[in-house]
Amino acid sequence: MEEQSQDDGVSRRGFLLTSAAAAALAATAENPRPAAAAATAAPAEVVEVALEVNGKARTLALDPRVTLLDALRERLDLTGTKKGCDRGQCGACTVHVDGRRVLSCLTLAAGLGGKAVTTVEGLAEGDRLHPVQRAFVACDGLQCGFCTPGQVMSAVALIEEGHAGSEAEIREYMSGNICRCGAYQQIVQAVRMAKEEA
Amino acid sequence: MARPSMDRIDARAKVTGAARYSADHKLPGMVHGHLVTSTIARGRVVSMDLDAARAAGGVVEIYTPDHRPAFQGALTGLAAVFAETRPPLADREVHYHGQIVALVLAETVEQARDAAALIRVTYEAQPPNSSFEDAKEHAVSPPSVPGLPLGVPIKEPENVDIKAALAASEVTIERTYEIPPRHHSMMEPHAAVAVWQDGRLTIYSGTQGPAAHAMELSGVLGVEQADVHVISPYVGGGFGGKAFTWAPAMLAAAAARELGRPVKVVTGREQLFTVTGHRAASSQTFALGARRDGRLNAIEHATISQSLGEDPGYRTTPKYYAAPNVHISMKITPGLDLPTATIMRAPGDESGSFALECVMDELAEELGMDPIELRMRNYLESTLKGKLPYSSKHLDECYRVGAERFGWSRRGERPGAVTDGEWQVGMGMATAVLDAGRAPTTVRVAFRPNGTATVGNATSDAGTGMWTVMAMTGARALGLPADRIRPALGDSALPFAGSSDIYGAVGSAATATVTPAILTAAREAIAKLAEHAATAEGSPLRGADDVRYAEGRLTGGGKAVTFGELLTLTGTAEVGAQGTSADLDTTHAYASYAAHFCEVRVNRWTGEPLLSRFTTVVDAGAILNAKTARGQITGGVLFGLAAAMCEEGRVEGATGRISNANLADYLLPVNADTVEFDVHFLDHPDTRLSPTGARGIGELGTVGAAAAFANAVHNATGRRVRTLPITPDKLLA
Repeated sequence: MEEQSQDDGVSRRGFLLTSAAAAALAATAENPRPAAAAATAAPAEVVEVALEVNGKARTLALDPRVTLLDALRERLDLTGTKKGCDRGQCGACTVHVDGRRVLSCLTLAAGLGGKAVTTVEGLAEGDRLHPVQRAFVACDGLQCGFCTPGQVMSAVALIEEGHAGSEAEIREYMSGNICRCGAYQQIVQAVRMAKEEA
Repeated sequence: MARPSMDRIDARAKVTGAARYSADHKLPGMVHGHLVTSTIARGRVVSMDLDAARAAGGVVEIYTPDHRPAFQGALTGLAAVFAETRPPLADREVHYHGQIVALVLAETVEQARDAAALIRVTYEAQPPNSSFEDAKEHAVSPPSVPGLPLGVPIKEPENVDIKAALAASEVTIERTYEIPPRHHSMMEPHAAVAVWQDGRLTIYSGTQGPAAHAMELSGVLGVEQADVHVISPYVGGGFGGKAFTWAPAMLAAAAARELGRPVKVVTGREQLFTVTGHRAASSQTFALGARRDGRLNAIEHATISQSLGEDPGYRTTPKYYAAPNVHISMKITPGLDLPTATIMRAPGDESGSFALECVMDELAEELGMDPIELRMRNYLESTLKGKLPYSSKHLDECYRVGAERFGWSRRGERPGAVTDGEWQVGMGMATAVLDAGRAPTTVRVAFRPNGTATVGNATSDAGTGMWTVMAMTGARALGLPADRIRPALGDSALPFAGSSDIYGAVGSAATATVTPAILTAAREAIAKLAEHAATAEGSPLRGADDVRYAEGRLTGGGKAVTFGELLTLTGTAEVGAQGTSADLDTTHAYASYAAHFCEVRVNRWTGEPLLSRFTTVVDAGAILNAKTARGQITGGVLFGLAAAMCEEGRVEGATGRISNANLADYLLPVNADTVEFDVHFLDHPDTRLSPTGARGIGELGTVGAAAAFANAVHNATGRRVRTLPITPDKLLA
């Protein structure tokens, strides 16, 4: 496992380290946990990233090539965020970074030190769904469900951004998320319903 | 009667991210596979430099045509017709651009991906034969496939002289319609996680037909079908693209067997365009002969397509309009250096309905007749061949109700007559007919001590709503609330009858197939439960000879017990039974119908055609869940409209490369491209088809939608665009 520690008071301040720098810094108070080599393969470099994911502090020792999407899916087992194209073209991988929606497939995890990431798994409070999630269920704003995490994350953000004023505005601001099943009108209804609740 | 409507029971898992699709599975010791695909369309691999890739960190294995994981057999059943029969990495020959030439396996996603990028392939390239356009003139009659009606000429009467019939008609028109290749582009790429234990394969692989997927994999891998366990509870869209088995799943399974480790293979978005199937391009020529009063005298329909899968003649033309003389034929263009074509949502029906419903619009214009009136004058009451009556046909009501809801009477008869500032406004309509049917299948229903009942079948839910319809139908059959039904699907170990039902959710037949079997199985399970109550040790009803079941309770001998209490008292884990639905009554023909009405606004200066309104009225038998049925229709309509609005796979003739093989350049409709569709269901249960009365709706919306759009564009502008998609350049030219 590349994941080293969590929930144990690691500083949330972001830092990026190469493995060499990690060794040099190993003894300093700034960095109590030097990066270990990955368990299986040995990438040329390892980057240590401390960030917050769904309210929990996480420190990851990562191959610098790892995208936020793959960090979530492969390292943190947060597979709710989907890989539809891996090119920033479909929106299925949409998450929030410091409250802003980003395409996690185009975001390198190594650059996220100190940031707070929210994924679809982080919206509900226990068993209580987020109003947007409830509205997607009630309005049938989904079919196959694969684009749904991205749609939900975009919907949460656009309501917060104040871009859910009219049907036309919702459609425009939801247009970065492709739904091949064609649940668009139900998605629009869900956004409107959630906005009224908000 | 209030139409039943229920929230999707899988919705909660899908909105919280808890639903695990194939690629979401992670097994201990799993390695990640990355495909390498060819950069030529025709030729052979001369050499592959793997040194840099092998030296890259974390690489476990690299498979190539010279060193491939073992395959023992070939695809069987329909997959042998509709999927790629040549196994992946079979040899060094390259037959299309984007063919798999290597599979890199590494410890992490990044290592596999980056090592794949380090592989250098040297090819001996030949000029490809990749142009469908060029190949059309050399098209040939397709070979007949036993048991498949596709591609077989249809003549009515058998000795029809169609040219003479056309010549003898008062009015004739002949038009040709062209449709480019289209790609399923489901949001979930094909992915598989495979693991072997004791000679048995377990594979998490999204599929429309878990049992067929197991059968096909067993054939390819040379193992018993029972030794392949396909797990696929969530499927991120299929549309026909996940009906059959494709190379990524085969490679994951074979590599996992060779390596003795679990293997995950996820297909890249660009790779999906070539290593899995697509809808073949088609070119259709219709010649219609009619009387001045609109009665059709002759229909000639000639199609050329890349493959049999897209046969609009068989699928469409015999099912729409009555005509005394009909001649349908098809040619294909074999041997093109193009990726394999397969079935895609409403195969043949979508392309056929576009051409037929456009040429009918053109004929109506020629005759100066309302397009609906022309259709009513040629209303089909029984099948073209055999003159079988239709079980339940209310297409006339669809036209009438649809015209009223849409405001068809406001349509300008003369094209270009209605404008709104710089916008030209037009209305068009089209008919949708989709064969309905069902396969006998087997369902297991079982009662459990916790007061729930399971309902299981090896079908699939790729967004159709099957999870929910199974729960609702089980609830109705057992007299229980739906939240006490636990449906099970998406697993090849679940029951199926073994005939065409192995293909699961295809042909818009899953609901019609599975729901009657639920009713049968529920009756059998209730009988078993009553017997258990009367005989089992510990049962309060033991010895009673008048045991009855109603709404979860058993009564007998003056006592009553719920089934949960009963099974708890008797210490029984479950009591259940399988039931198989009856064969289809073949004295009638079955089809679903819809009438589509579309309004577009075309910008006078830019030529941009915008969808502004859409009404569809649907006659599809009983609607079992209005909520999910609505989604099937709105989504289906958009899928069909997309062919008219934007979708087009662009093949470069000189290289065979698909130049827009990504989701930025292969245009799919986004939210801003659409409007709220007005969907209206007629409720005429088709109880001759099955006791639940439900016909298929999954493809119905797709059928005819493109024609309604194209006809609306013509009404707006006076321009007939017969080559899809209808892009601004075609309206400005």
